[in-house]
Amino acid sequence: MPNRTLRITKLLLVLVLGFMLCSPVSLSAQNVEESQVGRFQLAESFLRAAQYERAISMLEGLYEESPGTHVFYERLREAYENVKRYDAAIALVDRKMASETAPTSYLTEKARLLFLKGDEAGARVQWERAVATNPNSPSVYLLVYRSLLQLRLFDYAIEVLEKGRSEIDNDTLFQTDLAYLYNLTSQHEKAVEKYLELLVLNQNQLNYVKSQLGGFLTSEEALRDGIQAARKGVAAEPLNRSYRELLGWLLVEDNAYREALEVYRGIDRLEREEGRMLFSFALIAADGGSYDVALEAFDEVLRRYPESVSAPEAMRGLAMMQEKWAEANQETVFDIAGNRQERNHWDEALETYQRFLLEYPQHPQFPDVLRRIGSLHQNVFYDLAAAETVLREVVARYPQTDAANQAAYDLGRLAVTMGRLEDARIQFSRLLTRLRTGDLADLARYELAQLHFYQGDFEAADSFTRAMQENTSTDVANDAIHMKVMLIESKGPDSLNTPLRRFARIQLLTRQRDYDTALHQLDDLSAEFGLHALADDMLMLKAELQARTGQTKEAISSYLQLPLLHPDSFFGAGSLVEAAALQARFGSADEALDTYQRVLSEYPGSLLIPRVRESIRLLRGDEV
Amino acid sequence: MPTSFPYSLLLPSGRNVLVVVALLLCSLKTAAAQDLLIPMDDAQSDHLKAYGVTFWALERQIEVDWLLNYRGGSFLMISQPDLEAELRVRGVSYEVISGARTASILSEVESDAANTAVVRLEKPPRIAVYAPEQTLPWDDAVLLALTYAEVPYDMIYDDDVLGGALDEYDWLHLHHEDFTGQFGKFFSYRATPWYIEQQRQAEMAARRNGFRKVSELKLAVVTTIREYVAGGGFLFAMCSGTDTFDLALAAHQTDIVPAEYDGDPVDPDALSRLDFTQTFAFHEFRPVFNAREYEFSDIDSGPPPQPLRNPAVDYFTLFEFSAKYDQVPTMLTQNHVPTIKGFIGQTTNFRKHLIKPNVVIMAEAPGRNEVRYLHGSFGEGTFTFYGGHDPEDYQHFVGEEPTDLNLHKHSPGYRLILNNILFPAAKKKKQKT
Repeated sequence: MPNRTLRITKLLLVLVLGFMLCSPVSLSAQNVEESQVGRFQLAESFLRAAQYERAISMLEGLYEESPGTHVFYERLREAYENVKRYDAAIALVDRKMASETAPTSYLTEKARLLFLKGDEAGARVQWERAVATNPNSPSVYLLVYRSLLQLRLFDYAIEVLEKGRSEIDNDTLFQTDLAYLYNLTSQHEKAVEKYLELLVLNQNQLNYVKSQLGGFLTSEEALRDGIQAARKGVAAEPLNRSYRELLGWLLVEDNAYREALEVYRGIDRLEREEGRMLFSFALIAADGGSYDVALEAFDEVLRRYPESVSAPEAMRGLAMMQEKWAEANQETVFDIAGNRQERNHWDEALETYQRFLLEYPQHPQFPDVLRRIGSLHQNVFYDLAAAETVLREVVARYPQTDAANQAAYDLGRLAVTMGRLEDARIQFSRLLTRLRTGDLADLARYELAQLHFYQGDFEAADSFTRAMQENTSTDVANDAIHMKVMLIESKGPDSLNTPLRRFARIQLLTRQRDYDTALHQLDDLSAEFGLHALADDMLMLKAELQARTGQTKEAISSYLQLPLLHPDSFFGAGSLVEAAALQARFGSADEALDTYQRVLSEYPGSLLIPRVRESIRLLRGDEV
Repeated sequence: MPTSFPYSLLLPSGRNVLVVVALLLCSLKTAAAQDLLIPMDDAQSDHLKAYGVTFWALERQIEVDWLLNYRGGSFLMISQPDLEAELRVRGVSYEVISGARTASILSEVESDAANTAVVRLEKPPRIAVYAPEQTLPWDDAVLLALTYAEVPYDMIYDDDVLGGALDEYDWLHLHHEDFTGQFGKFFSYRATPWYIEQQRQAEMAARRNGFRKVSELKLAVVTTIREYVAGGGFLFAMCSGTDTFDLALAAHQTDIVPAEYDGDPVDPDALSRLDFTQTFAFHEFRPVFNAREYEFSDIDSGPPPQPLRNPAVDYFTLFEFSAKYDQVPTMLTQNHVPTIKGFIGQTTNFRKHLIKPNVVIMAEAPGRNEVRYLHGSFGEGTFTFYGGHDPEDYQHFVGEEPTDLNLHKHSPGYRLILNNILFPAAKKKKQKT
């Protein structure tokens, strides 16, 4: 305690003495400054008015009077620069440097002025001299680096900083500055190397590194370079998590999901993440549309970490990806003849969903998975009984959920397929009452219109379509308008509208997949009412059914016949387009081209024209 | 008696037979020959692609008659099955007309009573677009127009120009360019990757070509282009490619670039050192030295005044020239409408009093002393300057999606660009006076 009091007393004494000694000097300087300040302000106003020569003469006088006043020096040098009198500016710096004990900053200034003057070699000598003043000090290299950065001499700046690291023998120096410079000069591989060095010291800098790199790695080439550097880093430091995360992130940015999977797999194993990294990566891959990779990632989570928290979601994700895969590859469970195909992704998806039900009966996604199983039975496997059982369970056990609403809609469609039209009407009506608005409600409304149509109740069907066509934003509005047009144009010739009634029944048969009966009845109807307004609809449906039942040649022939028999038909352009698509699909590109050309010449006003032009160009191999 | 009648005259001699057969063939050919008329008035379903098909025909040695001021500047060519197919595929309206109808149209067009004329297009011009390989975050109206119309072109830039590549081309286009070396004066974007890359590439090109500053490189480029035009080249420039071109030429012996862009200050005597004898279209202008002001000089009058800065009321009108005597400006102003909606660019309109007296003004904003579209000759060649950035995007901002020309098939503003690519294909015709 006494020691502390003594120290404070000594400090106060030093301060008082210092004040007493300094104050007379300051006061006398103050008198000199007052006149100089006035002239300095005047010089500055000349500079602002671009009267450089007048400003320079005043500033030169001021500097002569008070060479120690830094602001005089500074402003005079700037004024010389403004009028490009680089020699005068350099001479000024030389004078200033002569009076300074630490001339490093003046050397860099002189170098900059020499460069602006055009003497690049002279400038380089000065920068080297600046470094030589204290080659073991990082700040000297930074001073030179900033001077070079001002002149945008990035390559030289890199050279200086790299030299500094080697002179001082410290590889941790100037990492971010060097990385920035390498990025600026598009040497992205080296930039990433520097950032990796930064991550060695502090793995928490990963987000900073990503944000710094993100702005620069915008081209494919840059990404490739960055990935290469990150790969080398991972090979050299396999246990560094941030390296692997950086590599994974770069690969995802490059849409290289399969390679990214390997990286995330490695992180998951090394860090004992129990599938969390793999699961989050699978979601990223699914969002990016890389379903096969997402599928693999979900599958691996399940195989390796069946007990992990993310396992149930991974299993659902796996099944969804299996569905996506099957869809993308146009896989089917039955061939055209109705024979069961070999086991494919549809089967796998169904099994995965079923596994989910067994293993996670309490999971919140249980109703959704159950509903998906029902949809698969209904739309893919055509096991209508199984579909009905499952969907009814969803509706009964999980009412008031989205899954239940969707299941109710599916049940209605199922009833239509099974010929229980009254059941279907009840399902759709209840759903509509419950939902009133939204996409599912509009779909239900359209189904009700179709039910009335199938049953020959055209007035009711018309009133539903009228309600729907008001809301043109919905997906089914076009279908509704099409139905309305058919109802208006296809009535008669008798009061019972017999042809339309029979045609509606054929459409129902088509929906129920009874194609042979539908084709048979269609032939009868055509024979009986060949001149009816529905004749073109009949021929179009016939061609569709022929295509679905594998009668490709007959289908093409029917499609090509339609515009000949019914030149004014609404289907004219569409039938030719369908014919051309079949011709192209079954290997006759020249015929397809001819057919598409017919559309252009015979139906130049059709809405299908842009699609036709695109198809022609694709077939011709145009680079458009 | 009967033998005295010269029956032999009635019988076809060998020579007579040839003449008769030739006449018969000709008449048959005339009856069968059909021409294609591509109307460019409101009947046209895709005005922009019509230029592309015309170019396509020229590439196949099909001669095309450009009917100036006839139905919006229609094209007439001989009918061929593959040409018709191409027209259909590209969605361009056409009319198949008989030889007699063709003759009637040509007679109508050549009539002294109408301000119409026929110009024969013979050879497709070789087109170069001056643009960097680096993708920049704004669209280029000419590239969009050429790509949409399916007109082939090459992209060239500083190294190519200085390497003599211009000799290979008839037509050169410049769009949103900055020939002053101020990197477009996008000061507020200086930290963005595209700006950094653009600046770095330009500096590297300058170094590669032996220049210390980008402004020096660009001066060498404009000087080369100037020589190209003097030697008979056609130059078309839009937006800031117009005023910065003349600005760079005028500043050939001074430094007008602020330190923010090239590290050293503007020459204090820059104004007095500007040399307007070097420029194409403008004189007596004053550069903008403020690095932060998004303007190069007072040539550009900027966007219209606030009450008119509205796509609904901002427009400019095309001048009508004598088709028979002023064919070049007539070709360049062919359109199906006389009034075109305005659009803003870094350079939008040119101040009239800064335009040299020998320059032809082709379109201007009514009621304002501002010119939108001008044309002039220099040596053996010509130049055309068109203000504004994108004729179908009133105010195009950095980073915005490019305009989809599928939605603007009839764009009169884009038609002006495409008139320029066909005009070098025209066969040179002696003036009637």
